[in-house]
Amino acid sequence: MEIWITAIIYGLASSGILFLVSLALSIGYGLMRVVNMEAMVYYSFGAYVTYTIMSLTGSFILGALGGMLVGAGLGLLVETQLLRKIYNREMMFTMVVTFGVFMIGIGIIQFVWGLEPKPVASPISGIVKFFGGVQIPAYRLLIIVIAVIAYILIQLMMNKTIIGKALRAGIDNRENVEGLGVNINKIFTITFVVASAFAGLGGALNAPLVMVGPYMGFDMLLFAFITVILGGLGSIKGTMVAALILGQVINVGGTIWAPLATVGPFIVMFFTILIRPTGLFGKDI
Amino acid sequence: MNKKLLSILGPVIIVALMIVFRYLFPNKITFLTEVGIFSIYVMGNNILMGYLGYTSFGQPFYLSVGAYSAAIFFAYFGGNIFLAIIVAIVVGLLLSLVLAPGLMRLKSSYFTLINAALCMIGVFIFERLLIDVTNGNDGLWFRGNMAATPLLDVRYPKNFFFFVLLILLIAFYLYQKMDKSAFGISMKATKANPEKMTFLGYNVFKIRSIGYAISIMMSTLAGSLYAINFGFVNPNLGENTRAIEVLLATLIGGVGSVFGPFFGALGFLGMKDIVSTFMTRWEFVVGVLTIIVLFKFNRGIWGLIEDGAGLVQRGRNKKTVKVGE
Repeated sequence: MEIWITAIIYGLASSGILFLVSLALSIGYGLMRVVNMEAMVYYSFGAYVTYTIMSLTGSFILGALGGMLVGAGLGLLVETQLLRKIYNREMMFTMVVTFGVFMIGIGIIQFVWGLEPKPVASPISGIVKFFGGVQIPAYRLLIIVIAVIAYILIQLMMNKTIIGKALRAGIDNRENVEGLGVNINKIFTITFVVASAFAGLGGALNAPLVMVGPYMGFDMLLFAFITVILGGLGSIKGTMVAALILGQVINVGGTIWAPLATVGPFIVMFFTILIRPTGLFGKDI
Repeated sequence: MNKKLLSILGPVIIVALMIVFRYLFPNKITFLTEVGIFSIYVMGNNILMGYLGYTSFGQPFYLSVGAYSAAIFFAYFGGNIFLAIIVAIVVGLLLSLVLAPGLMRLKSSYFTLINAALCMIGVFIFERLLIDVTNGNDGLWFRGNMAATPLLDVRYPKNFFFFVLLILLIAFYLYQKMDKSAFGISMKATKANPEKMTFLGYNVFKIRSIGYAISIMMSTLAGSLYAINFGFVNPNLGENTRAIEVLLATLIGGVGSVFGPFFGALGFLGMKDIVSTFMTRWEFVVGVLTIIVLFKFNRGIWGLIEDGAGLVQRGRNKKTVKVGE
């Protein structure tokens, strides 16, 4: 019995990471109509910067903040220099361009940090004991809490602030919103930078759980895409629900039969899309 | 007149050039064989990308299906090389019959990702599910089981090179025929405007499914040739990370043209060959190159060649005009 409860809570932690990383894709893909595969560069850089700062200063919090900042900075750079020029191009084009950026990012990581994976120590070593002998590392619980806070913040930003409202209006009718005197480019940039910062944070939080290697973005890319596709384009709530489902598929499925951890999400997405081509919460784009 | 001559002579010129290169650089024969096989693979992807407007991140899956069907045939059923290739093509056809009804109703971006998922599932199937048949990660070795073929014993690399060229030549002519036929044009029309094609009374789904089937069959054909070339297969062939190679080769060559895929394969593999001599990891170069190609030469090498030919033609026309004056 304990093993299942443990798997479910581990699954929630995986969902947290998946949600943070997928947010950049969800916003880029669903709201701005750009398939930003290079979001995984922010994720990888977030993890690597955390590694570097942690080995220099020993502070994980500083590392995670650094990872977030670097993710945001890279997002700013890429959005203003490249993505802005391709917003109106077809999806296939943006997909291949951003994949090119992703490859460049992997190349830069290889030049700077080398090929061998770097280990990052877990910042909190405590174990929380639940009733019935269930033991969960405190760090996993921290991830769940941070992901929940991130979800609330991003929902507030999208629904309550003027930025979110202008963004959604700008997607529906760009000319009209610009005519009202709103600088829509600036709003796109702000949203994108926020999403990139979350991807960097996801990388920083995931660093102690996985080996930090140049190809870590590749592994995450597919899972993040599955999350976004399964949840449906343009829906942050959908991304959250899909992340919850996939976290359970990975961990509970992996407990039942180990290979399910890697292939389970693909099977889930494959059949979901064949039955419901717009994802769980998606609108038809 | 000029175009007609080009369409008849083009494939012959390309194959002749390959043979010339083979004798100019005798130690590059494996590279040239790979260019031939890769061209067929890229041609398959070009149908999806250039004619139907679908970008697939899952072409390695189809390649590995072809390679594994040939390999399993050799390892368990017989040694006839031609039969193995036919088996691979038939498996490709059956696979496309199973998948087309689901996949061809999807929008392009969903298609891309479903294919990426297929890739992952494919590696899983060949590595874990069928481990008793495929030996998992160790790969399936079958070089000893291949039987000699009459006339040209293709088990030897130097003969296999000519065999690949022969298949490439046939593929070129068929591809050209498809490009010029009403079917080829209706494929391009569905890419440009599917609603209008439906309105005109064409069955868009059917056109797409046939195009998809041709694409898959070319990929599995290339896969079987890869298997015969190496003498073994392992699940790495179908890995997701290799999907970008074929996309990039298609882009470099020029999307939606008949000869583009060949130049794309040559350009991509040539670049990989050169870069990998002084750099073990070439992601950075591939990334930069992708962006340059997309923004500066979005019609690829074949586009450049056409532009060049156009300039020559225009120059000649100017001359004749001057003479006329």
